[in-house]
Amino acid sequence: MEKLVQALYGGIVYGSIFGMMALGLTLIWGSLRMLNLAHGSLYLVGTYIFWTLVTVAGVPMVPALLVAAIGAAVVGFVMQTTLLNRILGKPGWDVGSLIVGVGVAMALDQGILLIFGPRVKSMPPLVPGLFKIGRVVINYNYLVVVAVAVVCLVLMSIFLSKSRRGLAIQAVSQQPDAAQLMGIPTRTVFLIVMCISAGLAGLAGALLSTVYQVQRDSGSSAMLMALVVTIFGGLGSVKGTIWAAYIIGLLQSFLMVYLGAGTALPGVFLFMMLMLVFRPSGLFGVGEAQRL
Amino acid sequence: MIGEHASAKQSVGESIGLARLRWEAGPWSRLSVPAVVVAIILLVALPWLAGLSPIRNFVLHLMILFFLWGIVTQGWNLIMGVSGIFSFAQVALFAVGAWTSGVMVQQLGWSPFITMWVGGVATTVVALILGLPTLRLRGSYVVLLTLGFQELFRNFTTQGPNFVAGGGYGLRDVPKYPFAAWVGGEDAQVLFYFLALALFLPATFAIWRIFFSPVGMAFRALRDSEVYAISRGVSPFRYKLFLFGFVAFFTGLAGAFYVHWYGAISPAIMLFGTTINLLAMIVIGGWASFWGPIAGCAVLTVLPELMRAVDQYRILLLGLVLALIAVFAPEGLFPLILRHVNRLLGRKGRL
Repeated sequence: MEKLVQALYGGIVYGSIFGMMALGLTLIWGSLRMLNLAHGSLYLVGTYIFWTLVTVAGVPMVPALLVAAIGAAVVGFVMQTTLLNRILGKPGWDVGSLIVGVGVAMALDQGILLIFGPRVKSMPPLVPGLFKIGRVVINYNYLVVVAVAVVCLVLMSIFLSKSRRGLAIQAVSQQPDAAQLMGIPTRTVFLIVMCISAGLAGLAGALLSTVYQVQRDSGSSAMLMALVVTIFGGLGSVKGTIWAAYIIGLLQSFLMVYLGAGTALPGVFLFMMLMLVFRPSGLFGVGEAQRL
Repeated sequence: MIGEHASAKQSVGESIGLARLRWEAGPWSRLSVPAVVVAIILLVALPWLAGLSPIRNFVLHLMILFFLWGIVTQGWNLIMGVSGIFSFAQVALFAVGAWTSGVMVQQLGWSPFITMWVGGVATTVVALILGLPTLRLRGSYVVLLTLGFQELFRNFTTQGPNFVAGGGYGLRDVPKYPFAAWVGGEDAQVLFYFLALALFLPATFAIWRIFFSPVGMAFRALRDSEVYAISRGVSPFRYKLFLFGFVAFFTGLAGAFYVHWYGAISPAIMLFGTTINLLAMIVIGGWASFWGPIAGCAVLTVLPELMRAVDQYRILLLGLVLALIAVFAPEGLFPLILRHVNRLLGRKGRL
C-alpha cells in the first residue's frame, strides 16, 4: 500500500515535470518541424537565472520564476531571429535546424560552465515543510511544482484551442502555406511558438532546480526524457504529449519503487521501443492533417 | 558532385545494386592515381619523416586519433549525410566494439588480434538488431531511438556486471597489442600507427566504393525523395539496414583498436560531447561530401592540440561555428574552400 502511494505520488510529480518540458518540444515540432536539441540548454538557462536571482541577488521566488522563464524565452527569441529565420523554409531545413540546435546547445552549455563553474549548487525549496501519508513523505515543494506545471499545461491547451493566437499556431502547424495565404503572419507565429517553448523550458528548469540540484548536465537528461515523452505521445500532438507525460512518469515511478532505481531508464526505453514497433506514430499517432 | 557519369545512368535503369560498370566509368576515374600513390607513400613513410622519437610519437598519436575518428566520421557521414538516417548511436557502436573486444581479452585471455574482429562482427550484429525497429521509422524517431540506445548502453557500462562496468569506471588495464614486447616501448607507437593505417585505408576505400557506386546513388535517392526511390525499385529498409550494418563493422573495429591501443575505455566516452565533436567534424568538413568528414576530422583532431591553452573556449567556439555553418554555409567549409581553389586554378571540380 505504501509502495503504491509512493509510486503514484512519484509518477504524478515526474509526469507533470515531463509534461512541461515535452510540451515545448512538441509545439516546436508541430509548427516549425524542428527537433530542437537546444531545449535542454534553455532549461539550464532558466535554472541558472533562477539560482542567481534567488541565492545571489535575494529576489523573492515568484518574480524570479517569471524572470527565469522570460530569460529563456529571450534566448529562444535570439536563436530564432539570428539563426533559424535565415534557413526557415529552405531546402535542408531539417538537417540545418538540427545542427543549429546542437551548436546552440553546445555554446550555451559551455557558456554556463564557464560562468558558473562545474560545482553542483543547491536551491532552497519554494515552500518548505512536508506531511506524511503512512510512511510516504510528501513535500509541499513537490506539490507546488506539480500545481504550477498542471496550471501551465491547462493554460497552454486553453490558449491553443481558444485564443486567436493559439488558433493561428494550430493553423500554421497544419498547413503553413494555406495559413499564410489566409493572412496569418507565419514568421511571427513561429517566433511566438519558439518564445513560448523556450519560456516553458526555462520555467521547468527553474522549478526543478528546487527539486533536484543545480548542475550543468541536468538539462540533457531532462531533454532526453522530454524527447521520450514527445515521441511516445506522437510528435506534434499536445493531447498525446500530456497523456504520455503522465504514463511515462508513472511507469518510471513504478519501476523505481518496485524494481529499483537502476531499472527505470532501461525499462522506459524498452517500453518505448516496443511501442514504436507496434505503433510507429506514437500513442496518439495523429495524421498529418490534425497536429496540435 | 555525382550524376553526370555513366554509372549513374546505368544504375537507375537496372534497379540499382548489381549493375555492371564499364571499367572507364568506374569510380576510380575520379581520382588521379599518382596523387593516391603519393599520399599512401607519404603516410607509410611518416614515421621516418616525423623526426626524433618524442616528436614522432606525438605526431603518430595524433595520426592514430585521426585514423580512428576518421573511420567513425566517414561511416557516420555515409549514414547521416548521404542517406539521411539521423543516427546518434555511432559512438555507442564504437563502444560496443571496444567493450566486446576488451572484455574478451580480459576474461578469456584471447589475443587482441583475434578479438578485434569479433568486436567488429558483434557491433554489426548489434547494429542490425538496433536497426530492425529503428530504420522503419522517420527522422526524429530515429534520433530518439538511437540516442536512447546510446544512453542504455552507457547505463549498462556504468552499472552492469563488474567485468563490464569495472565499478563505474569502464574497462581499465585492458591488454594492449603486444607491440611493446616486440620492438620496445618507444617504437611500439610506430606499429600502432601502421595497424591503424591498415584499418583506415581499407575502411576509407570501402566507403569510397559505396559512396560513388550505384548503391550510393540509391542512398542519395532515398534521402532526397523516398517515394520516387521506392518507385524505382529501391527497398528503403533493406538498403538502410545494409548500410547500418556495413558502417557498424568498421566503427566497431575502430572501437576495438582504440581499447587495445589506449588500454582503457570509460563510459564517459558516450556522453553527448563525443557525439557532438564528431558531428562538428562532419558539418565543418562538409556534410554529405566524401572528403568533408576526412578534412573536418583532420582539422578537429589537430586543432585542439594546438589550442590547449584556450580549451574551455574551444567548445564554446565550436558550438557557435557549428550553428553559423549550418546557417551560412550548409554544404560545409571544405567544399566551399575547394570550390574557390578550383575556380582560382580554373579547372572543373574533380574531387
